[in-house]
Amino acid sequence: MTYDVYMHFPVIAIMTFFVGAFIVTLCGSKEKIRNVVAGLAVLIPLTLLALLIKPVMVDGEIIVYWMGNWEPVEGYAIGIAIEVDALSLFFGLLVAIAVALSGFYSFQYIRQDDARGSYFTLYLMLSGGVMGIVLSGDLFNIYVMLEVMTFAAVGLTAFRTWNPNAREAAFKYLTVGSVGSTCALLGIALVYAQCHTLNLAQISAILPDNMTPTMVLAFALLFAGFGCKSFMFPFHPLAADAHGAAPSSVSVLISGVFTKTGVYGIIRVCYFLFRTMGNEAVQVLLIVIGCISMFVCVTMALNQHDFKRLLAFHSISQIGYILTSLGLCTALGVAGGLYHAINHTLFKGLLFLTAGSVLYATGTTYLEKLGGLARKMPKTTILFLVGAFSISGIPPFNGFYSKWMIYQATFEKSAETGNIFYALVTVVCVVTSVMTLASFVKVGHSVFFGQLRPELEGAKDPPLGMRVPMWIMAALCAFSGLFPNIMLDYVIVPAVNAVYNVIPYIDTAMGADYAATHLTSYMPLMNGQLSVIGAWSPLSWLLLFAIALAAVLLVSLLGRSNRSVTCVEDSKHAVFFGGEQAEYSHAAGGDLFWGFKHNLRHYLGYMSRVHTGVTNDYMVWALTALAVIIAYCFAFI
Amino acid sequence: MMLANYIGAIALIVIGFYAMAAKHDIIKIVIGMGLTDYGINLMIVSVGFNEGGTAPIYTFGELVSGMYFVDPVPQALTLTSIVIGACVTAMALALCVRIYNEYGTLDSREIRRLHG
Repeated sequence: MTYDVYMHFPVIAIMTFFVGAFIVTLCGSKEKIRNVVAGLAVLIPLTLLALLIKPVMVDGEIIVYWMGNWEPVEGYAIGIAIEVDALSLFFGLLVAIAVALSGFYSFQYIRQDDARGSYFTLYLMLSGGVMGIVLSGDLFNIYVMLEVMTFAAVGLTAFRTWNPNAREAAFKYLTVGSVGSTCALLGIALVYAQCHTLNLAQISAILPDNMTPTMVLAFALLFAGFGCKSFMFPFHPLAADAHGAAPSSVSVLISGVFTKTGVYGIIRVCYFLFRTMGNEAVQVLLIVIGCISMFVCVTMALNQHDFKRLLAFHSISQIGYILTSLGLCTALGVAGGLYHAINHTLFKGLLFLTAGSVLYATGTTYLEKLGGLARKMPKTTILFLVGAFSISGIPPFNGFYSKWMIYQATFEKSAETGNIFYALVTVVCVVTSVMTLASFVKVGHSVFFGQLRPELEGAKDPPLGMRVPMWIMAALCAFSGLFPNIMLDYVIVPAVNAVYNVIPYIDTAMGADYAATHLTSYMPLMNGQLSVIGAWSPLSWLLLFAIALAAVLLVSLLGRSNRSVTCVEDSKHAVFFGGEQAEYSHAAGGDLFWGFKHNLRHYLGYMSRVHTGVTNDYMVWALTALAVIIAYCFAFI
Repeated sequence: MMLANYIGAIALIVIGFYAMAAKHDIIKIVIGMGLTDYGINLMIVSVGFNEGGTAPIYTFGELVSGMYFVDPVPQALTLTSIVIGACVTAMALALCVRIYNEYGTLDSREIRRLHG
């Protein structure tokens, strides 16, 4: 009986977003009503999905809803299904949380903008599209939702009329992103030609035993298509442009949610539909792409001068972690990847929202024009520090735990297979983490600390309506770092089990024993046992953190008497760096790692030159990536 | 006969990709996007074609044994895909107009404020 009630929740969650988008448009310029409608439209799906945690995550039920009651007839699923297993619900929850928090943030945040009426329409369309992708059980539906989501995201990227770069970013995003959509659609057409069905569960049963050359092509196309949506290397310049131009509340969605649909798609394609993940060549492909994304984007981030553009590159760098971890095809690897996915949504969301607050207060995100904001915006600074500590993997925040799992998973894989390649992956992960910390030291230094620029005297903390969503995100960051066992038990492990065992997913949709009759050569892709070892006790780390903080506080308080001596404004007190031009010699973001960047100048200069910003060049990259992936798949599968 | 369709579809897609990668006029890039869409539409509709099949619409009493029809699902997919393709083109052209107003050019090599 209860099952009947739960069955309708996913479809209502998707519909609420679209109906909400429609009603918001009708509200016109009545701001109060519009905010109420938008607030309800983001809260209802969150509530519905939270109610699903009990049946899906804990009891292990899989919810199937056939649109219009078109159930499978004689083993053929013609109707459109919505199928929610633990993996879908995991991504659905992640989407709902990010959408709700960012939505409440934007009530206040978009006051500065002129075209406020259409903002929430597009915002809810984007959310609905993403929700549709992760909950859908139909391949073509996923494509349609992918396009809905892309449209809304392009519209929101071009949304800020006063941002001179917005239209350019949106155009690049649309054109180069269309390669991804094209590949996905072509792959879907080929899959349909082979299987004569679009239902994910049925394809998962039929396809793995029929890997014809056409299906290898379809796999390569779907992989590249979803990879493009996750902005993996070499699609990353799009993300950087789009995040920088979009309002911060939308950047949260693009980075935290939009890219996750790509990751979700890759999991579905590799672990479910084609089950090619057991093939070591596919693992290596995913790991190599992940490592390159990770490293290239973090070095690009070191080179940036714009707060949001820098965050955008970090975002892809973290996606690299997730892809690498998923590519390991071990229980710990998948768990680490999924854990990092939810952590990435939380901490990157928090960082984008603090960047939005800085923009709200000062009108710029250009690092060289900012400085010393900690004195004017102390609350934002604390939130930024939580986000920065989380992303850099400093205990006890959440980034540490998921990165620890990823390091351990890569290293274990190396020990298991005796292959030095996987150990090198661990090294790349650690080095990337260090560089992430370095670039957040740079951001913290040039935005929040150092000398206050005279034109920023009027800056102040954002209003309460913007701070509360940020506090909630910060609290979630701390929660998922301090109580990893709760997260693992209730969220991660069920999702990993869903990836590990696809039989229930198929049987629930297609009827009992469907998988057993069709999927004759079924072998689990990985060992289902998840064991996390390592000296990790979050509470002792918290204690250490508290002691360190107390020590810093003590030194700061003891030194207070000296600080009361006011320095005369004189250039002799200024920090001196050779060749500076600015009147205020604030150690700018570009200068802090001057020596480091000087040593790497050839590499960084080359990377900077290669990212030309010309649409055609990015197209060439995208097509080269597509060609390489296709050739690789034909050679090794 | 179907082979010609597949070759045509792939040719359209490749021409579209070529236009997007090699042409510097952003209107031509949009045309390239349109071409890839048409190629894919042709591909999908060819996938569902049965030689000698009739349209998948029957009223009562028409169906006799030995008759068969083309697969209707790809046709539905193609319709959806055509609509989406038209939307993509419209949106891209709208952006082109705005870009022309702001940059005074349609040359993609000069539209690169965001780089590095």
